[in-house]
Amino acid sequence: MKQLQQTKNWFYAAILGLSLAACTKTPEPTPPYGDGVLVINEGNFLDNNGSLSLVSRGNTTASLDVFLKENMRPITGGVGGYAEIDGKGLILVDNSTAGLDKVEIVDAGTMKTIATLAAPDIENPREVVSVGNNKAYVSCWGTTGTFPNFYANPGYVAVIDLATNKITKKITLQKGAEGMVVVGSEAFVGGVGGDRLVQVIDIQKDELKTASIAMGGSAGVLQVDANNKIWAFVSREAVRIDPTAKSIETRIRVGSSTTKSPSNLTMSSDKRTIYYMSTFFDPADGFKQKGEMYSFKISDTAISDAAPLARRMFTGLGYDPKSGLIYAGSTPSFKQAGFVLRYQPDGKLIDSVKVEIAPSGFFFK
Amino acid sequence: MIGGIFTKYIFCIGLIMWPISILFAQRDSTRALQTVTVRGYLPERFMGGLKVQRADSALAEAYRFQTLADFLSTQAPLHLKSYGAGQLTTVGFRGTSASHTAVLWNGININTPTLGQSDFSTIPLAGFDQLSIQYGAAASCVGTDAVGGSILLSSTPNFRKKGVETSFGQRLASFQNNQTQAGIRFATALNQNWQLAGKTLFYGGRLNNHFPYTERQGYLVEPSETTQKGFIQDLYFRNKKHHQFSANIWLSDNKLTLTPDNPVGRESTQSKAYRFLANYERDKTTLRTGFIRDIINYGKGPDFETNPSHSETDRFIIRAEHEIDVEKPHITARFGTEVVHFRTRVDGYGGGIITENRADLYALLRYQINRRMLASVNFRQAFVTRYDPPFTPSLGVEYWLLNTEKQRITLKTNVARSYRVPSLNERYWRVLGNPDIRPEHGFNKEMGLEIKQNVSSKLNASGSLTAFHNRMDDWTYWNPERGYRVENLQLVVARGLEFQGNLQYKTKHWQAGVFAQYALTRSSQERIYDATAQDIVGKQLIYLPLHTGSANVFVETNQVHKWAKPLQSVRLTVLWQGSSLRYYTFDNSKFIKGHQLVNLLLETNVQAASLRGKVILQVDNVFDALYLNVKRNAMPGRNFAINLMFNI
Repeated sequence: MKQLQQTKNWFYAAILGLSLAACTKTPEPTPPYGDGVLVINEGNFLDNNGSLSLVSRGNTTASLDVFLKENMRPITGGVGGYAEIDGKGLILVDNSTAGLDKVEIVDAGTMKTIATLAAPDIENPREVVSVGNNKAYVSCWGTTGTFPNFYANPGYVAVIDLATNKITKKITLQKGAEGMVVVGSEAFVGGVGGDRLVQVIDIQKDELKTASIAMGGSAGVLQVDANNKIWAFVSREAVRIDPTAKSIETRIRVGSSTTKSPSNLTMSSDKRTIYYMSTFFDPADGFKQKGEMYSFKISDTAISDAAPLARRMFTGLGYDPKSGLIYAGSTPSFKQAGFVLRYQPDGKLIDSVKVEIAPSGFFFK
Repeated sequence: MIGGIFTKYIFCIGLIMWPISILFAQRDSTRALQTVTVRGYLPERFMGGLKVQRADSALAEAYRFQTLADFLSTQAPLHLKSYGAGQLTTVGFRGTSASHTAVLWNGININTPTLGQSDFSTIPLAGFDQLSIQYGAAASCVGTDAVGGSILLSSTPNFRKKGVETSFGQRLASFQNNQTQAGIRFATALNQNWQLAGKTLFYGGRLNNHFPYTERQGYLVEPSETTQKGFIQDLYFRNKKHHQFSANIWLSDNKLTLTPDNPVGRESTQSKAYRFLANYERDKTTLRTGFIRDIINYGKGPDFETNPSHSETDRFIIRAEHEIDVEKPHITARFGTEVVHFRTRVDGYGGGIITENRADLYALLRYQINRRMLASVNFRQAFVTRYDPPFTPSLGVEYWLLNTEKQRITLKTNVARSYRVPSLNERYWRVLGNPDIRPEHGFNKEMGLEIKQNVSSKLNASGSLTAFHNRMDDWTYWNPERGYRVENLQLVVARGLEFQGNLQYKTKHWQAGVFAQYALTRSSQERIYDATAQDIVGKQLIYLPLHTGSANVFVETNQVHKWAKPLQSVRLTVLWQGSSLRYYTFDNSKFIKGHQLVNLLLETNVQAASLRGKVILQVDNVFDALYLNVKRNAMPGRNFAINLMFNI
């Protein structure tokens, strides 16, 4: 109860802060979009209203829906991810209806459209990474069914040549293929549901290698640390993978709770600290969804949940390498605008910026 | 701020009306408000002080291949929430939600009990003979759901038109969309005492929606297919002693498939309804029994055939009513009771059968106070398994401020409580539903002025202006803060102004008319129930435009040139609809732009020997306007249809 009261007080303080900020009317950042932080607003499922907001560092007013602003046409679905590769931005667009998903390719400096890749090549795109000059991998689930056969099709990676803006190949993967990282000449692809592997792709040949790592559970998000080791959360464990040996090096229990689940695995810029969310539905408070932000060092042998950096539910986390701040996305509901809260790495709140629907990720320019 | 202005408006209208009513009360009137003896259950009789609009029957005839959703948008300032062409479309009145619209078919609420609302895209105009639109709370009169308004559909026998008439109709429309109807209407004397009248109708159609585009101005056009079929059987037996037996059957089957060409990703929703009513009337007593089964199956890809998510609800209805007429004072009182047994099996509830009983007791009074003044006083108490909705009274008054041969001005006012029994989903959905959720309850006040003017023998005019204020509490909300558990969280206040005007011009060979309407509707959530509600309090409800308007203009002539002699008449109708922007987030941070639509109808009546027919050319969205549905996909651009109807 006290915690709820604190959250409320905090919230009102934030509202007050925002209103004051609104009074001073800091000007909106204007294009070109060469600098700043792009907020990935996932949008609400049936509203198909994902968007990108641009937040300037040190500014508390966001420029909203920059794709619409620059192209006079909307993003026609939720936004699942964004990455920039050689001056081009790739927006993953997930429509609520099958067969209408896209990858929008824009000029990263102007947000002007360059090309659109559409279904059936792109279906349920999940993550995008750079795998070399003018080359991107987009992991996809393919068309999904319904529970218990939700992952009705194998997942795949669409190989995109950004010189021609064409899909040159589709590499078939496990069901539920999702998070990707590149280490050396290999891309590692995690998966949710399905086979629960981390699979390995030779990024020169664009071919799946036979070696794979059984994770023992879903591993949706992968991150690479300073030692070139790969981290993932699997259930309530942090799992470290040795990409050379293609094996699991260690599994560390995240905290001691049996109800909270870790998510939003985020790496600091020195790649030595991992920030994450721990979320749960609180039966003592009418099943309200709650969350706490924590961190641990990659050298830690135990992960404690004794002292959260912040007690608040976030739908996205990011670490800004330029400012050294943590960006956290707050979603009051999927039917109202969310906020981005900026924290010092020690959990001290700096300010907040009103963005759009369900801020769930960040791209730091 | 706008709320304040509205309250002032209503107050001002009250102030203005008061002296006028005194002024006109001095004059004597020549005619009294009619008391009508009507067979069957016409709830409109007890809706004194409420705005009740009979739908434009000529336009309804022209729209007979289309859905109630298509038609209503031409008739009333309702806010329609459409998910796409041929897809789920719900209707809200006066800033209330789709669950606050009661849909009555021959007096029985046919809202799907699991969802607590109706999908107007699955109700074809062919399904009934008459349509009335009632604005404002009428729960005391018609029961649950009538918080914002109600749609009254009825079948009417025509005993006078003796013989058998066979009819056939076909609609061919753009995007390979087709509809067919075939039926007979009959009326005959069975013997010296008994007469029979009725109709049989089959209808069916397929909307392939083969749009020649996949996007419009950057907005997606969602591929979808809809198939519809239905059967209607109405039988009325009556004798000279005022006994009447009747039976009404309406079977309907509607299947919608999104992305039909995608074998894994296509989503199919099938809604089936089986509706049976039997009615016995003797003098002033009516006994009625009914059975309604609603089925919804949903599945993605092959799951739809093999393992769909299934929802099935049966309703067994018994209703008894008796009416008493008293001469002095002139009161018509109708007392009734209704018992409904629900039996539902829904996968989302856990799969077992859940039963529930509901009962209503009601008394409806129509009191003709004097020649000028009519009052309706209604009382209803509903009982539901586990809890009882609030006692629901209403008071309506109609007063002729002025009544001459040429002009009649009526002041109407109504004050009513209303309620909505939560849907079965809200009560029984596994984990997220709450069996103890309270009924929503509302308090509606409205006042209106209605003017009818006989300008000349050729020109008639009428108009109305209505102001309303409806406060609804315990509004249920699937709360995302609590994992979408349903709660009685919100308090919604809706207020607004409505204007309707009608001009009709008629000579021997020419007819013309204009029907126009405008509504200003402001409706907002007013309770701060948690920190997130801070951003949404006082904001306009989602999908509700502040301004809506429409105008229908027609010209008709029966003076057709000699060369086109089989053409009995030609009628051109232009329909315009406009709506201001609609917010689609609770904090009003995102909106769908306003739009205007223009549709055209060119109709001609044809007669050759005993064959009578009608040919209608229809152009919808003449100016190819871009407008969006609630999924933010584009609705179709300009499209064409030809409708053919023949009777023998």
